[in-house]
Amino acid sequence: MPEIKKDIEAVKKKHLTASWDCYMIAEVMAMERIAEQALLYDFYGELLTSHQKQIYEDIVLNDLSLSEIAEDQGISRQGVHDLVKRCNKILADYENKLHLVEKFLSTKEKVNRINLLIKEYRTVEKEELIAQIEQISNEILEEL
Amino acid sequence: MAVKIRLKRMGQKKAPFYRIVVSDSRSPRDGKFIEEIGTYDPTKNPSAIKVNEELAKKWLSVGAQPTDVVGKIFKTAGIEK
Repeated sequence: MPEIKKDIEAVKKKHLTASWDCYMIAEVMAMERIAEQALLYDFYGELLTSHQKQIYEDIVLNDLSLSEIAEDQGISRQGVHDLVKRCNKILADYENKLHLVEKFLSTKEKVNRINLLIKEYRTVEKEELIAQIEQISNEILEEL
Repeated sequence: MAVKIRLKRMGQKKAPFYRIVVSDSRSPRDGKFIEEIGTYDPTKNPSAIKVNEELAKKWLSVGAQPTDVVGKIFKTAGIEK
């Protein structure tokens, strides 16, 4: 199954770019953390209060440091830290209950796969490709 | 005057995409920046990192401070001072 092999390669590439060190994996994951926060914010950000939103935006969208925000808002660095931590928890709670991000990512991945299969079908008109597309689209419908 | 290297979120909702920019730490929110030195696209798998190494090194050598995340991006991209 070349498909599965490709997936494994992709996972390896994503998390083990520079070395096989656990250290490096942790680094990469910390790096991706901001993207994860950004996604959560896109989905549930409107549910935060405007004060929370403003500070969370500075952290996630503008990549400001805690002390920069503290100075800006006239509150303590500790205060900003607590607020960000609370926001993380609030957003994670919403995700745990609603799973909107999870569903979004899964649907996106499947649609991408369908698009690839269609591209392949355009070059080699094999019936089994259609069957695969059908299966994936059924999966999407089931998850809705 | 402290100069920082930080991320700046671009892209639409639900499709995060970042520019790596050099900016003055005193004008963080008005969106002004001195120079764009790269991009970071976490929607790709693996995440696509593009950094102009020459510019990054130049700014690091004159004392520009990368944020935590940018520091990690540089490390994954193999850029040291």
